[in-house]
Amino acid sequence: MTLDITQVYSQIEAMAGDLKSHQSDYAQKLELALTTLKSIPPQQDRLKKKIEDARATWLVAGLEEDVSLHRAAAPCPDDFVVAASDGSHIDVDRHQSTRLFLLNIGLVELQYGSKPDAELSSLPTLYFGDEMQAIRSRDGRQALIEGPLLGIKREVEECRSLADRVCCNETNLPVVGLVDGSLIMWGLVGKHYDDFVIEQLLDDGLIKQFGRFYELNRKRKAAIASYISFPRSTDVINSLRLQLCPRDPVDCDNEFCKGKFEGRECDAVGGLLDRTLFSSILADGERSAVFSSRSSIIERYGVHQVCFFYLKLDEEVARVEVPLWVADNKELLDLVHAVIVGQCHKGFGYPVSLSEAHEQAVVTGADRQQFWDLVDRVMQEGSLAVQHSLKQRSKKRKWL
Amino acid sequence: MAVEQKIAEVIETSNSEFLAECYDLDSVPALGSMVRTKGKGCQIYGIVYTSATHSIEPGRRIAARGKAAASEADVFKANPQLAKLLCSDFKVLVVGHSPDKAIYQYLPPSPASIYSFVYACSPVEVKQFTQSLNFLNLIIESRSTVAPDEVIAAFLRYASLTHPAPEEFLVKAGKELAWTLSNDIRRLDSILKRLQP
Repeated sequence: MTLDITQVYSQIEAMAGDLKSHQSDYAQKLELALTTLKSIPPQQDRLKKKIEDARATWLVAGLEEDVSLHRAAAPCPDDFVVAASDGSHIDVDRHQSTRLFLLNIGLVELQYGSKPDAELSSLPTLYFGDEMQAIRSRDGRQALIEGPLLGIKREVEECRSLADRVCCNETNLPVVGLVDGSLIMWGLVGKHYDDFVIEQLLDDGLIKQFGRFYELNRKRKAAIASYISFPRSTDVINSLRLQLCPRDPVDCDNEFCKGKFEGRECDAVGGLLDRTLFSSILADGERSAVFSSRSSIIERYGVHQVCFFYLKLDEEVARVEVPLWVADNKELLDLVHAVIVGQCHKGFGYPVSLSEAHEQAVVTGADRQQFWDLVDRVMQEGSLAVQHSLKQRSKKRKWL
Repeated sequence: MAVEQKIAEVIETSNSEFLAECYDLDSVPALGSMVRTKGKGCQIYGIVYTSATHSIEPGRRIAARGKAAASEADVFKANPQLAKLLCSDFKVLVVGHSPDKAIYQYLPPSPASIYSFVYACSPVEVKQFTQSLNFLNLIIESRSTVAPDEVIAAFLRYASLTHPAPEEFLVKAGKELAWTLSNDIRRLDSILKRLQP
């Protein structure tokens, strides 16, 4: 049996009704959020201090520019390069005959201007054997790479391949490297990974790649940025919650607020998303103020501390993340802003370089099947035993 | 002697036809022109019967991009990836082969080799090949092309220009067609009308 859609239908109707009943409530919240945002004076010192001193339960955005700022994109340079990477993987499947995983990194490099050019490629890498499939500490501990950890490993490899490509670019043109998703390794936040895992994936992995862009920027204009389409983040709304809170310093564990999910002063803007707020503020192509992430993991990022801004594009508001050294450099920030707006216009709302990198990286269901069949065939040709779990066999041969 | 320039590569092949992918976008040979490639131990000659430019991925639809562009070239300049994501190819009906110096105007014993390079035939080669027109029935009877008459007419117009007396060549070709299509006067008439240069 498959999903009985007739049974789900009435539940979908109930959900739609519930959402509709909250529409006017949502509009009121948005109105208050806009008023609150506009009421913050340009120096915003009081709110900055409130954010610093707060003991809040939410992730709050740090203020780097006037919160109500909205700025159109500067013109793109005549000649520039955009590089992008994206990845797919085939995870370890314990029902298959062999323990292995595969990463497929798609890379795109587009040169615009007087000598337009494009390079599109994919780089599949098979990880097999104990050494390749684990993160190991010097004192003999190891973490097997699979599931969520493989997702994190993929982020690192996407960034490493992007840095490799950008560093090999022989032009002296300004270059922007783009990745899909966040520069913040959310996969490591709140999980109990050993320190050596975090060190290898984050300090010696992702952040090291940011460093390569940082070094490159000493020789030529170079930036790295990530693009999040349809973001669900609430960092800025949470800062407005602090602005609305009558207590100073803010402490979510006070007697009135503790254990509550509604009824608090700040709940008057609760449930809104940052993108909804900025959709009402920004015009097409404009960016918001730059904010900084205050996630606990950011402490490890150093000069690469992650900052972000929102960007309005036709029908959606996207979130763009950059390291602090990009956010602090007006020329680089303008370059990232202008290039991403241009990329989105060429890509019908989503950066064309990222879209093509995805196309290069994608591993379809048919590819997966072909891959595992090939693994089995090569093993059999090498007279190696090929044994699948009975569950796997049962799924393949549907019986009655 | 000038180095011969290859124009494409065989990517699908059978005894009676092959598909060749061009190295450069939009650089397909003309409809009805003659090309040459390699088979097992022989040169294979064929006539281009259709060509196309499309996405390299079957599922990806090409979108219009030129609304704000001043020229078609600007579309490629503003979207440099397009040249890498599109390809041009053409299909060729096999009309003869040459294992040595002689030319045989019938199908070769085996198909053109996959990945073999495709060259545009020189006027000398076309002239030599069209000393006899026995191969015309291979096109007339072909079910591959939806417009075989257009292909025949295009080829004969193109081949006539390699002969010192083009009109004389066309008259000879008309006679050959009249013989082959003696039971289909309407079709013969349709082709002959298309032979006007």
